[in-house]
Amino acid sequence: MSEQSLIDAESASRVGTVAATATGEVDRRDWQRWAAAVGDHNPLWFDPEYARAQGYRDVICPPLYLQYAVLGVTALDGLRPDGSSGAASGGLAFPRAPRRMAGGESTAFFGPAYHRDEIEMVRTIESIVEKQGRSGRFVLVTWRTVYRNQRRELVAEATTSMIARP
Amino acid sequence: MAREQVFYEDVHPGDALPTLTVTVDERQLFFFSAATYNGHRIHYDKDWARTVEGYDNVIVQGPLQAALLARAITDWIGGRGRLVEYAVQNRAIAFAGEELSFTCVVTGKRLADNTGLVDLDIAGRRDDTLLMPGAATVALPLRGDRS
Repeated sequence: MSEQSLIDAESASRVGTVAATATGEVDRRDWQRWAAAVGDHNPLWFDPEYARAQGYRDVICPPLYLQYAVLGVTALDGLRPDGSSGAASGGLAFPRAPRRMAGGESTAFFGPAYHRDEIEMVRTIESIVEKQGRSGRFVLVTWRTVYRNQRRELVAEATTSMIARP
Repeated sequence: MAREQVFYEDVHPGDALPTLTVTVDERQLFFFSAATYNGHRIHYDKDWARTVEGYDNVIVQGPLQAALLARAITDWIGGRGRLVEYAVQNRAIAFAGEELSFTCVVTGKRLADNTGLVDLDIAGRRDDTLLMPGAATVALPLRGDRS
């Protein structure tokens, strides 16, 4: 790394390593509360009879909810001043680029998740690169996240990015 | 809820899905933050949003925009359709009280292992402002396939 790089050596050394792992149980009431907050009343998430008629064995978890099934618990004292927990990024921080914003997310879904499935998430830091944008230099961090169930079946695989600016 | 099933054969490039229009109010922001265990103050603390982070109001969670855009898709694909791939980018923020629209257009279709895959261009917008562009792929049942 050159002296001018926005990426410090400590962060750079973490490329390829696991940023976070988490496990959690998929819970029907939790995903239904999420769906209600989205205004999403799809009967696949709510009506077992309907879901069975479509070939599922029970109601299924909305695909976009899966990422929340593994969220841990943060004590109030452990929150950042802005109220967020900061757990998802694996504590990556760029002292020379402290302003962070979510980039994008791309997820492939391989199969349904059911109530009481045990999901294991493993998030790896795939790359950290410095780029030049219209409004100046920034750091682009990309994570790869794999979700498996208790039968070790791949449920979903996501690529997520974050942008950090000076 | 009675829902009509859309089939692979009925879908053509250029077809537009029904547009979902939602005005997210502060109640919905609160419930979504609660449902996703999100404590970030910019979604409920107006004073913090204005004075510390420089926004005019509390802002709609990016993941809520993404969830609404996904809802436009899963409402359309029916009980036998499956969301296979979903990709979005956060391009711009939206404030509580703004009318947002979520639109999807079919860009292509193909058969893979006897599965009907349909590609979609998807977008969340506020008027002409593109908030969240993206792309998705769904699997739709084939007519006559009663599996």
